[in-house]
Amino acid sequence: MAELTASRSLPVVKAPSSDQALPAHVQSHASGGRDLWTDPLPERPDDPDAVLLELLHEVLDPELPISLVDLGLIYGARLEGGIAHIQLTFTATACPCMEFIREDVRDRLVRETWIEAVEIQEVWDPPWTRDMISDRGRRRLRKLGVGV
Amino acid sequence: MTKTIEGLTAESTEVQAAFRRLLLGLADTKRLLGIRYSDWLLGAPSIEGGIATSSMAQDEWGHARLLYAALKDFGDDPLVLEHEREAAEYASWDPLDRPLPDWAHLIAGVVVVDGALALALEGILEGGYEPLGGRVGKMLGEEEFHQALGAAWFQRLSAGEGEGHQRLQEAVETMLAPTVRCMAPGDDAHERLADRGLILPSSTLRYRLAERLDPLLERVGAQVPTESTLDNDWDARRGRGIGHPEEEAVVRARGDQNRALFVE
Repeated sequence: MAELTASRSLPVVKAPSSDQALPAHVQSHASGGRDLWTDPLPERPDDPDAVLLELLHEVLDPELPISLVDLGLIYGARLEGGIAHIQLTFTATACPCMEFIREDVRDRLVRETWIEAVEIQEVWDPPWTRDMISDRGRRRLRKLGVGV
Repeated sequence: MTKTIEGLTAESTEVQAAFRRLLLGLADTKRLLGIRYSDWLLGAPSIEGGIATSSMAQDEWGHARLLYAALKDFGDDPLVLEHEREAAEYASWDPLDRPLPDWAHLIAGVVVVDGALALALEGILEGGYEPLGGRVGKMLGEEEFHQALGAAWFQRLSAGEGEGHQRLQEAVETMLAPTVRCMAPGDDAHERLADRGLILPSSTLRYRLAERLDPLLERVGAQVPTESTLDNDWDARRGRGIGHPEEEAVVRARGDQNRALFVE
């Protein structure tokens, strides 16, 4: 067995940058996926409720890089006047990311000129379970090695 | 009655006060239980056991937060409930007034106290008070894991006649009767709610708890008491025995040391 001495040189392992360390299919490194958010629409769309959901598809969960919609956390989205009413649940009653998620939802939606404000209603009925993850969300999670 | 906020508002002040007492007691107990669980994150008999207490503490604080928020419908300010009350105002159940001294007490706490809390929530769910339905359903889903862990550890510690068995027996002896008394006191406030169909009567709760826990408790020679035993030390206003949790736990629960750093 080789004797360890102070003069022995050990290999230096250089840590990869955060970009290199993530798998290729993790595309965003910003909170809520905000570096991938699309530009605001030029005007109010004809079907704003459907578009609200599309916009929320761009908002990623802080812990798992799939969208809040695919994770099954969005229970409803509708526009009344200029107010976006979002029904949102969480995976756990003490989810440590609640405030991040609320902020990401608000920040994404208020980029749109046709949305004046965002009202988030926290809902717990029905309780979230893994069954609420969409098929697309499951496929993405499996790519990341998360079994659901 | 219609089991909505409006329906409850139309009830007598005694019924409203009784429901508030029940919810505050459950919220405070869950907050204290979270602290007692977190005490054993380090120093558990196994790393996995310690990590489990961390997860359970997180759940209990989440449940407490939802229950405090529900008390807004009764005219309370949840922030005041969480951060401004003195220890003597806490309605948490007596067995959590002091730290749980060892792992056997922690496991007894999971099985007995947490188990009784879950049953009390089931009683509310069956009562059908709408504003709480979804929240309670979510809480009970999380509680399933607590009970699975508690039962597994209870069986392990109670096997044989060694020190684990003895300590668990002592812990159950200390915690069982006061826990059941708080969950199902059979006093006027509790039965008033049961009469209005908002919760289950004390006798039903005790029966169900016995059905659920006795197969485990018998391993240490204990049984859920089926008769209500309210003595002179019963504080009907808070729905618990006289006394209160030790100051240090309340300082932690209120977040006193980090008051200047609160984020809302």
